[in-house]
Amino acid sequence: MQFFYFHLMPWPYLPRDFDRTYDSAWVTLPNRLYDPKRGHRLYNEYLDELEHAERLGFDGLCVNEHHQNAYGTMPSPNLMAAALARRTSRAKLAILGNAIGLREQPLRVAEEIAMLDVLSGGRVISGFVRGIGCENLSLGVNPTYSRERFYEAHDLIVRAWTEPGPFTFEGTHYRVRYANIWPRPLQRPHPPVWLPSQGSPETIRFAARHRYPFVSVFTPYANAKRLLTEYKEEAERLGYRAPPGQLGYAVATYVAPTDAQARREAKPHLLWLFRRGLKIPPHFLAPPGYLSEDTLRRFLLAGVRPPSELTFEELERDGYVLLGSPSTVRDRLAEIQKELGIGVFVGGGRIGDMPHDKAKRSAELFARQVIPHFRPGATRGGARKSHAARGRR
Amino acid sequence: MAYRSDFVEVRGVRTHLLKGGRGRPLLVLHPEFGANMWAPYHDALAAHFTVLAPDHLGFGQSDRPEWLETIDDLVFHYLDLLDTLHVERLSIVGTSLGGWIATACAVAHPERIERLVLAAPAGIKVDGVPRYDFFANSFEDTLLHLFHDPARAAQILPTEYGPEVIVQAYRELTTLARLAWNPYLYDRKLQQRLPRVQAPTLLVWGENDTVLPLPHGEAYAALLPNAALKTLPACGHMVPLEQAHGFANLAIEFLTASPSSSAGEGA
Repeated sequence: MQFFYFHLMPWPYLPRDFDRTYDSAWVTLPNRLYDPKRGHRLYNEYLDELEHAERLGFDGLCVNEHHQNAYGTMPSPNLMAAALARRTSRAKLAILGNAIGLREQPLRVAEEIAMLDVLSGGRVISGFVRGIGCENLSLGVNPTYSRERFYEAHDLIVRAWTEPGPFTFEGTHYRVRYANIWPRPLQRPHPPVWLPSQGSPETIRFAARHRYPFVSVFTPYANAKRLLTEYKEEAERLGYRAPPGQLGYAVATYVAPTDAQARREAKPHLLWLFRRGLKIPPHFLAPPGYLSEDTLRRFLLAGVRPPSELTFEELERDGYVLLGSPSTVRDRLAEIQKELGIGVFVGGGRIGDMPHDKAKRSAELFARQVIPHFRPGATRGGARKSHAARGRR
Repeated sequence: MAYRSDFVEVRGVRTHLLKGGRGRPLLVLHPEFGANMWAPYHDALAAHFTVLAPDHLGFGQSDRPEWLETIDDLVFHYLDLLDTLHVERLSIVGTSLGGWIATACAVAHPERIERLVLAAPAGIKVDGVPRYDFFANSFEDTLLHLFHDPARAAQILPTEYGPEVIVQAYRELTTLARLAWNPYLYDRKLQQRLPRVQAPTLLVWGENDTVLPLPHGEAYAALLPNAALKTLPACGHMVPLEQAHGFANLAIEFLTASPSSSAGEGA
């Protein structure tokens, strides 16, 4: 199994009166609450953590795109990947992902990913996402075209990476008479495309058809299991068996010496994540047309409680988080691996407003006492020495 | 008053049409909320006209064809509907979104539109005058903004909020977003084309409209060649739903006046 260290780069310094004063951490949260001086320190701390994760033995480092919010302050993940490209040498740089349909000209994503791939020596993984509904409001992009634009942007980018230029692309939303990107990507035929998603049936079918790894992100365990099962079934309908490398699972992760300590230490930050960072009213989350009527109906009929209303115990029970002592996390992850058939695990990173020290200790415990058990040659209950040693380098 | 619910095929697109009254045809175009509804103002108008009140495509029970993207698509659809119904020329009453469509019809085919009654039409912007955002607020908050007296909102409130009611409301808001997300509720070109309108026009605005405040009405009145602007007190954006009687009186007086005394000429 491959291990990826994920960072959202949250803005932890929400004011004391946030809960009663602000309806949302997105779209309308006034940007005077962002302090660039503190931001300078934070960005560097966050990048330090990502670089440290490579030294700890993680296989890849993940960044992602979100706009105008306190949950994740990375409007351009490609900039962060560029910073990492020069300070790392081995780890994959996974951008999970670029919100390609929000771009006015997605060729720009094709160019930036190609730049990163050349710069990093072919270490880029290129995730594509639609962006969440809030971002249609924040960037003025019509959500009723969200899906169409996503697919069309995808087609343009992949053609730009693979087809000799110049060529002409004339879509409904995107048109360019001379697509001819310089540089071209280093990896052949192109950098791996991943689809991180909370899983509409359309996205699952699209991913399976293109054999793009599907990464279930930040959704309750039962839902992640359903999504990955649908993906595997779709692959079988298409005549192949989805290998572990095409199946990914992302979840907030926290490791401490004991279960009790892990719970105690993670609790405030997990609650920050769901009650503050993800404080999003429904009309921001699903502006008109962002969801299909079928998806909305399914959602309403399922009567899903938003995670912001769940207690810490419920969040843990439903698998919104994977936490505990190293042995607890190891055992649970082994079960997850067996049950989901995943070959890609995305975890680590800071949870919400977690301070640097806690995040660092957790990542170290995870890298030294969990990851080695999932390396080739590891036996249940005892990791291979070489991997454990590498983690301590 | 009795009315009928019909479906009309317009170039293969199923269009839901409420029809009632007698006399010359009058096209009544609903606002962004309140499709598939025969309200008291329809009754009042139907005492003088044969009221044709279609659901816009993507609203009520009308189809939403894939090609529906802009107000122009609805303009051509309504011209086709008139052809289908063998109506060459008529007057239009339109509210908000419906008023925008009515105006755009009169810009495209001035010769086919006799008179226009526009209740707080969308379609233009006035710099510095804020518009309420239907797309970034809750349905509850939106209802509070549509009416001066929120109790009036009961007229268009469903009696219960089952999943299908929510899905239908989302479907209609999605159509509105398709048409008017960005630019928000206006067409960059409409303003410069308004001088094409030949129909005498009555603009009716609620004094308490917080969705498209009164300066929008003043701008329309200044730009249309032959328009008068009347305001109604204790009235928000949903003019004919909130002040049915006052609105219908103004509309009927204007629509039934003899040609020499009609409209904006006296304004």
